[in-house]
Amino acid sequence: MIRNHIKISLRNLWKNKLLSSLNLLGLSIGIGSVLTLIFSVYAYYNADSNIENQENIYYLKTMTTGGDSYSQTPYPLLKEIVKASTEVIAATHIQGWTQPWLEYGELDFQEQTDYVEPEFFQVFSLPFKYGDPETALDKKYSIVLTNKVSLKIFGEENPVGKIISVHDTLNLTITGVLEPISPYSAFRLGVIMPTKLLEDIPSFKARANWSDSFTMNFLKLRPSTNIAQFERRINDLVETNYSNPTTIAAIKLMPFAGMRTDSIPVVDTIISGSIAASIFVLLIVLINLLNLNASTMFHRTKNIAVRKILGGTKRSVIIQFCIENGILVFASISISALLFLGILLPKLNDIYGADFGKISFTVAKDYPVILFAIGLGLLVTLVVGILPTLRFISVPISTGIKGKIDAIKRNFFVRNSFIVLQFSIAILFICVAIILNSQIGFMKNADLGFNKENVIIGNINLEYKDEVSASASFNTLLNKLEANPYVKTYSVSQAIPSDYNFNYTQFYDPETDNEIRTRYARTDQGYLKTLEIPLVMGRDFDENLDKDEDNSVIINRTAMKALGWESIEGKRLKGKESGSPDYPVIGVMEDFHYQDMQNAVEPLAHLYRERDAIASHRFLSARVEKGHEKSVQQQIATGIGNIDSRREYKQEFLTDKVSGQYRLIEGMLKTVNVVALLTIFISCLGMFGLISFMAKRRVKEIGIRKVLGAGVVKIIVLLSKDYVLLVGIAALIAFPIAWYVMNAWLAGFAYSISIKWWMFALSGLIALLITSFTVGIQAIKSATANPTKSLKTE
Amino acid sequence: MIKIKDLEKYYATEDVKTIALNKLSFEVKEGEFVAVMGPSGCGKSTLLNILGLLDDPDGGSFLFNGTEVAGYNERKRANLRKHNLGFVFQSFNLIDELTVFENVELPLIYTGVKPAERKQRVEEVLEKMGIMHRRKHFPQQLSGGQQQRVAVARAVVNHPKLILADEPTGNLDSSNGNDVMDLLTELNSAGTTIIMVTHSEHDAKYSHRIIRMLDGQKVTENILSEFTH
Repeated sequence: MIRNHIKISLRNLWKNKLLSSLNLLGLSIGIGSVLTLIFSVYAYYNADSNIENQENIYYLKTMTTGGDSYSQTPYPLLKEIVKASTEVIAATHIQGWTQPWLEYGELDFQEQTDYVEPEFFQVFSLPFKYGDPETALDKKYSIVLTNKVSLKIFGEENPVGKIISVHDTLNLTITGVLEPISPYSAFRLGVIMPTKLLEDIPSFKARANWSDSFTMNFLKLRPSTNIAQFERRINDLVETNYSNPTTIAAIKLMPFAGMRTDSIPVVDTIISGSIAASIFVLLIVLINLLNLNASTMFHRTKNIAVRKILGGTKRSVIIQFCIENGILVFASISISALLFLGILLPKLNDIYGADFGKISFTVAKDYPVILFAIGLGLLVTLVVGILPTLRFISVPISTGIKGKIDAIKRNFFVRNSFIVLQFSIAILFICVAIILNSQIGFMKNADLGFNKENVIIGNINLEYKDEVSASASFNTLLNKLEANPYVKTYSVSQAIPSDYNFNYTQFYDPETDNEIRTRYARTDQGYLKTLEIPLVMGRDFDENLDKDEDNSVIINRTAMKALGWESIEGKRLKGKESGSPDYPVIGVMEDFHYQDMQNAVEPLAHLYRERDAIASHRFLSARVEKGHEKSVQQQIATGIGNIDSRREYKQEFLTDKVSGQYRLIEGMLKTVNVVALLTIFISCLGMFGLISFMAKRRVKEIGIRKVLGAGVVKIIVLLSKDYVLLVGIAALIAFPIAWYVMNAWLAGFAYSISIKWWMFALSGLIALLITSFTVGIQAIKSATANPTKSLKTE
Repeated sequence: MIKIKDLEKYYATEDVKTIALNKLSFEVKEGEFVAVMGPSGCGKSTLLNILGLLDDPDGGSFLFNGTEVAGYNERKRANLRKHNLGFVFQSFNLIDELTVFENVELPLIYTGVKPAERKQRVEEVLEKMGIMHRRKHFPQQLSGGQQQRVAVARAVVNHPKLILADEPTGNLDSSNGNDVMDLLTELNSAGTTIIMVTHSEHDAKYSHRIIRMLDGQKVTENILSEFTH
């Protein structure tokens, strides 16, 4: 019986070659992209699945009275929390401090370095490849490597017990190697060392106080813990210990599981967008199959009736259809698997790899995705096999045997609703793509408050081996730049727009006690001139005036507003820590977008630092005469290249750095573009199949009409107008949804475009053009056919 | 074998109720060959559908081999159908995707006959119908006469007690039509009961008895040859 079914299915598929290949094409592309999207979502949610009891792991988040929030706290807090409570099973800091150069034999390398408590591996049950997580960090001079680092340095060899030296002074014993960590993990680990090591460093000790927030805290709590009570206890500790408790609104316990989306907010959009896109694409593919199946059903009413007369049951008819669709669906899944592995996954890695790391597919690890694909295939098969059949199978045999289809006319409504739904989704995606495009264009071309054109940015944070000689050579280079007629101005600084560190500090005005939390960075006297940032009041830094005065401050307009100042005449700021020096405010600069346009301009303070202090600066920027960028870049590269350093010198243009901020959103745009194209393409495939089928059914009608004198144009209009109307209705449904969704999304940007009517008009027009083209091809073909031939066909 | 009494069937559209069968009664004995004639719309096809258990009457009684089947549900009807009835249609109604062999085999698959036996029985009947050499062809590749032979082969492969033929020669030229009528007569001589709806007086002459219908009722009955049981 089954063999018979399969045989007939194959013959049927072959007989309807056009429909079958349209279905195969649509399904393969559709399922291929769904697989890709689902795989990335799966990889994302599964990245930290080897960490047990995640629901009991929390991290601390600081909420300020100013409405800010950040995941750091002062260093001593964690110890006090552990001391004051019984609910904590294990707790650890995670903090970067320095990324020291590590040496093993001849190898010199630097990795992401995190300093943690020995309990780290009790909080996070990351599996070890070598070594024992229980004791790995018990000793002060120990180091745990990630698999990646271990492979790089030692290959497949087990390195536990080997010695790595730090800065030629410390010797650390390797006590463990972690199993590979997914690139989508919340952790970006390289090497892990005990926090105890930091406590020997004077600069760390100086900041391990109750006012500097720089460390992240993770706690594993007993499942029975009353979180609200526990939070209250933490906040009591804040009250009694913090040197500035009034600025803290609350410390909150946040679930570890939400940390990733908390740190990169776009991730949330990408993940929910991927899920929504998968569902929509699936829906469109499903509708195509249903519609195309339903249309062939007209042919089959008679067939079904004959089978029923000969003793066939409903079940056998349904099985027949399921097998026929199953063959199609699983053939498509095989093709889509090739698409996924060969094209789509590498493409996805191109788009998001830089931010999230590249993911790869292995059967052993990702078999649930395969199971998902098979399950999905079965589900689709059943739905498209059973649903249309049910309508036709209940047609009485006596009606069916005559091939009468009047009984099924109501189906048009269902089918038309399906088409409308498909095109609504397609138009929705086109709208989203257009609006997303406009927003990105807006952010990239907005007036940033500084001039980003013709500025070369050199990264001079290179770990110089000898700072004194480096400084001298650097000075020589700066003198050359000074003399270069093509260099208009230049500057040396710790930050550059698009790359301001998350360095916050708390200042207050000793006259009024007004406080601000502000970002700060040190710059030289050339910064504002090089970037053409206007000075609102006061003066710029001056080498001679500020040389011995390390504390001169220029604040931005937002900071001045936050302090409630009208002028800066005689104003100074003080830090919150005891014994803080005065910071005389010498100038106010205009607000400029030092972060991306997603964020509003926050208070900013620049402190002076002389430019030849090369080791404490990160960037050299030079405004150059247009057309002379290359020669200046070469000059700088040669100058820096002569200095002995551990890292390679790199330079780029400020314009690229600024656009780079939108890489992730642009990645999203690329995905949305692909999905939009895909949805409209697959929808059109379905429509093409339908209309060619309908035209076939109407061959006689068209013939008669032509005999009676209808022209080609009239026939084309006859065949197309319904579909164009349906697309129109779809547009009317899609527009308000697109408006609502994108308005909500744009609200997340501090600076955003307003949605304009033409964006909708454009997307409607695109959909309409593509549809007209699709429908038109078939309509012209039918309309120009010879009527005598078509009349014979029936 | 068949006894219908006061059989009624209506077709209702939104505002018109058409009476297709109006208290129709007659009897068909086992082994009889009966032709049903009448103008278009007189209810012939409706009658055949009900006799073939493809449709339900709205009133009256229908005894099949002494059992009342008028109220049977679809499953019971299907079961009765596949074991007792064979159908021959004007438009052949072969399944395009199946070869001649597979078309004829289909009823045997549905009644659960084992493959080896199926092969033997199908070949037997194809041989008998003279279309064995065409067994691997698809219906579209055959002439009308050949297609109807396949249809007849399919109708008889399960050894039905009753064959219902709906204008079996309607789509055939006279020579092919005669061949098919000879086939039916042959089957009837071998004991199969046949009820045939036809427009053709010529074809009707092959039967024992002609029932003439008008407006859902039996008008006359001509006995052509004495049927002896």
